[in-house]
Amino acid sequence: MTAARLLRVELRRNAMPWILPLVAALFWFDSYRPSTGTPPLYGLRTFWNMGQGHTILDFGPFVAGVAAWMGSRDGRRGLADLVTTTSRPRWAAQLATWAATAIWAVVAYLVFVGVMFAVYARQGVAGTPPWWYVAVGATAVAAFSAAGFVIGAWWPSRFAAPVAAFGGFLAMFLSFQTGFSHMSGWALILPTNSNGNFDGSAQADAGIFYPWLPDLPIARIMFLAGIAIAALGLTGLPARAGGPWLRRSAAFITLAGAALAGTAVGLASTAQEAAEGVVIPALHDAANAAPMAYTPSCAHAAGVPVCVNPAYRRWLPQVTAALAPVLSEVAGLPGAPARAIQVAASYPSGGDGPPRPVTIGGHPSVLRLQLGLLNTPGPCDFCAGPVAATAYEAQIQLLFAHAFVGAGDGAGSPVQQAVQAALLRGAGIPFAAQPGLIADTENFPGSGSGPAPATGPVYAAAQRLAARPAAARDAWLSAHLAAVRAGRLTLEDLP
Amino acid sequence: MNVEISDVTRRFGRTQAVAGVTLRTGPGVFGLLGPNGAGKTTLLRMMATVIPPSSGRVRLLGRDPGGYGPRREIRRRLGYLPQNLGYYPGFTVAEFVEYFALLKEMPPGRVPRAVATAIERVDLGGRARSKLRTLSGGMLRRVGIAQAIVNEPELLLLDEPTAGLDPEQRVAFRALLRDLGERATVVVSTHLVEDIGAACSEVALMDAGKIVFQGTPDELTARGEGTGAAGDAPLERGYSAVLAAARSAAAVA
Repeated sequence: MTAARLLRVELRRNAMPWILPLVAALFWFDSYRPSTGTPPLYGLRTFWNMGQGHTILDFGPFVAGVAAWMGSRDGRRGLADLVTTTSRPRWAAQLATWAATAIWAVVAYLVFVGVMFAVYARQGVAGTPPWWYVAVGATAVAAFSAAGFVIGAWWPSRFAAPVAAFGGFLAMFLSFQTGFSHMSGWALILPTNSNGNFDGSAQADAGIFYPWLPDLPIARIMFLAGIAIAALGLTGLPARAGGPWLRRSAAFITLAGAALAGTAVGLASTAQEAAEGVVIPALHDAANAAPMAYTPSCAHAAGVPVCVNPAYRRWLPQVTAALAPVLSEVAGLPGAPARAIQVAASYPSGGDGPPRPVTIGGHPSVLRLQLGLLNTPGPCDFCAGPVAATAYEAQIQLLFAHAFVGAGDGAGSPVQQAVQAALLRGAGIPFAAQPGLIADTENFPGSGSGPAPATGPVYAAAQRLAARPAAARDAWLSAHLAAVRAGRLTLEDLP
Repeated sequence: MNVEISDVTRRFGRTQAVAGVTLRTGPGVFGLLGPNGAGKTTLLRMMATVIPPSSGRVRLLGRDPGGYGPRREIRRRLGYLPQNLGYYPGFTVAEFVEYFALLKEMPPGRVPRAVATAIERVDLGGRARSKLRTLSGGMLRRVGIAQAIVNEPELLLLDEPTAGLDPEQRVAFRALLRDLGERATVVVSTHLVEDIGAACSEVALMDAGKIVFQGTPDELTARGEGTGAAGDAPLERGYSAVLAAARSAAAVA
């Protein structure tokens, strides 16, 4: 009861609310606005602000600074003597001050993120929000407040606040940079490490095909909570803090917090990348990695059913529009897909080769689309610019043709390239446009290089094949597709 | 005896602020007089359990403040107004007093009434909702007194309580002191002798860390009679005479 009243007074007169308008503005311009330039999927929308930790960057330094200001309050205001002569242990009074500071900061963080997610919901952002990363952010804010507070409590100077704020910024900035190049336990545990965030290999489809895996967030929450606990324990160590029993408890709490943080780092160092996200064996629950059930959204392209995850429903028209010409082109040929389905995007790790956005296989043949690997139509701040629907459709057609001729991970044999070019020509993509399309298609062999002219023996053979009557071309392909896919033919074998 | 101090010293590095002070006092208003730097504030800080003595023995309210448990008990029954009172500018008068009532572990149910009473006693009832940053220096001093008396302390230590108060407020404050002194031990440190004369039943005069006089205000006044010591009032002349005698004795020694 007394503690509640003390907390109420502290909440009412805390300095944190004064800084919140500034944090709100920063949050708007740094966390929210840049995210709107990404496709409306939670995995992508929140990659900038939650994945790379911008929400934490926006809060952390200010929270640390204000907490240091509050922690240094009694010393700065000349009240240390008076507070010391009260019977309540000074540590308890300080904890009330810290708790009020942390409550303001954490509640503000949750409200800001909540409002952002509400705006996303109004914008029709699909998938499920990364709640575990919200919890990480909230714990990080609490940890910043504790770290800042202990600086102020130990160093009751007017300079404590700017030093804590700058220190917080520096810590975040360094961990942010570390995230680009390190995957060690120390790097992964940092909440702004974008490498470990957002379930590396599943990235775009996290929260869509698989739930957000809690393994790494749990380790991070442990780490940040450990820091907060250790920092709060430190405030209870000085002789003024209280009696011997209380100070011994503070020492134990400090050590326990440090041990918790160290354990979390150890756990993070055992992290492995899996299809469904970053797995920490000791924290992993297989139930969390089970695919999410969903009712697909379906349409038809050239008579072939095409089904996607409802999160991708908005792009189904572009997908069917892209597939219709190429499916028509291969209709009746051996291995022509009987249906098309979307599967979770996956970035193979190690020596498993590059990602394959489109694959065809099975009996009857099924076209599998990893749409999460493609830049969807619309704004795309992490690409060269907005993605046009026509470009998106052309990329799907290229990837389809590439998969259909069995070219695999590489560019394919000359014959496979020629057949691919002829199929694309039949689907309406002129030869002259194809080198540019190859250069622009992400995750495609040869992408990223400057477009070359559509000349040379491959295109000459492709032109020959494309020039033949459709019936003759289909007859030749029916007879030779197996050999084309096996790479047993040369360009001279083409009609 | 609520305050029992035996041969207490306090050093800060090479400086000896309090040098072998012995003091015993019970309920009533006890005045601690002395020039600047005499050691009054240091003695009061030791009595307030802010700092421990370097040597000697202190017992407050029948307890030894050296142990944590007894010290906490003393602090529950203690009111303290430091010489330089800081304040939280954003707090209102009522919040500030409530805050310290809670830190003194008063039963929560008693706090609102106790806060209101303390604020009324220092005549700040009309400013209870005012932010501290809006108050004058004298008003802030009264807020400091309110926080010191909010828990109805058995031992009240006031360091320069009338600094910044206007004459009317000082008169009212002396009446408050006399009232408080009927139930508690009130130790008032000041260099304003008129406060002592008006409110204290006993007085000690400190100089250079030592107590050079202890007695009633009348006895102090008597020390000045016929000495030709400087001072506008009889008590001031007594004060000056005792100081002069103590300093000449120290010089001879």
